[in-house]
Amino acid sequence: MPLNDDDFMRYSRHLLMDDIGEVGQQRLSDARVLIVGLGGLGCPVALYLAAAGVGQIGLCDPDHVDITNLQRQVLYRTDDCGRLKVDCAKQALEALNPGIVVSVFPREIGSEILADRYDLVVDCTDNLEARQIMNRACYSQEIPFVSAAAVVWEGQLVAFDFGHFRSLCFDCIIDHNSAEPMMNCANSGVVGPVLGIMGSMQATTVIRLLLGYFEQHGEMTRYDGKRGQWLSIHCNRNLDCPTCGSASD
Amino acid sequence: MINLLFFGRLGDLAKDAPTCIASLEPDTTPLGIRQMMKADHPELSKALSEPQVLVSVNKMIVKWDEPLFEGDELAFLPPVTGG
Repeated sequence: MPLNDDDFMRYSRHLLMDDIGEVGQQRLSDARVLIVGLGGLGCPVALYLAAAGVGQIGLCDPDHVDITNLQRQVLYRTDDCGRLKVDCAKQALEALNPGIVVSVFPREIGSEILADRYDLVVDCTDNLEARQIMNRACYSQEIPFVSAAAVVWEGQLVAFDFGHFRSLCFDCIIDHNSAEPMMNCANSGVVGPVLGIMGSMQATTVIRLLLGYFEQHGEMTRYDGKRGQWLSIHCNRNLDCPTCGSASD
Repeated sequence: MINLLFFGRLGDLAKDAPTCIASLEPDTTPLGIRQMMKADHPELSKALSEPQVLVSVNKMIVKWDEPLFEGDELAFLPPVTGG
């Protein structure tokens, strides 16, 4: 849908930028992005992408809001406890930006949701199995996959532009037979703003990918909030990878 | 000599661990360094043996059996999976 007069006001701070402008804003408006997981990462991702004017946003999460979520999951209010996260999030995002379309999937991620012609998938989940499902679906559909995670003071971000690069994927980095680590947010805790930082980086990466400014396929960024340290590391393709091992590039 | 970096919460467990290996034996690997920690730093060694711990050499993720060379920087990265 073309930008209207209200859009020119709403997105004026994007339109002022030469490397976004009207063309870039239109790209964001035309984009369909699926956010999987509406927890500590998914909340800032959804808020920033809705505010930025990403035109169609899918939200996938089977969980209900719990009072223990409110320390970090910034989309929800105390009165939301007991409601489906995707319903609360849809209401909040549409109040923030009535010009976007928000679809909800109150269930675990599965191939039928991923098959719905998204331009990009954002992984805000907390488990390896879901990440593997998303990674493989994005690889086969040749669409970008932006994955992040956090626990205690630490965060991780890695993104793949499968439309342009056919080797190196999430399965190359984390062995597909790996067990889940012992520490997770439920048993070890997490600092809320660390999720905000990593979720904001995910949202920025999504915007970069949608606008064509992403050249760091498979580069991992790690953040240690306790010490204020960042680390960027390159990942190698795994020739035995079950997902992309046979790719020629 | 190779430098060692224990990133994030591994740093809490590595306070008394060496930050470098001065004399590198031939065919030393990240796995070998982890095993070296077992006697004097059992908690650190246990944390390094968790699923999904990543290891990088000179800012490139490698396998645990990657040979190490003089001047390498070896980093251990704890698993991060929550959301």
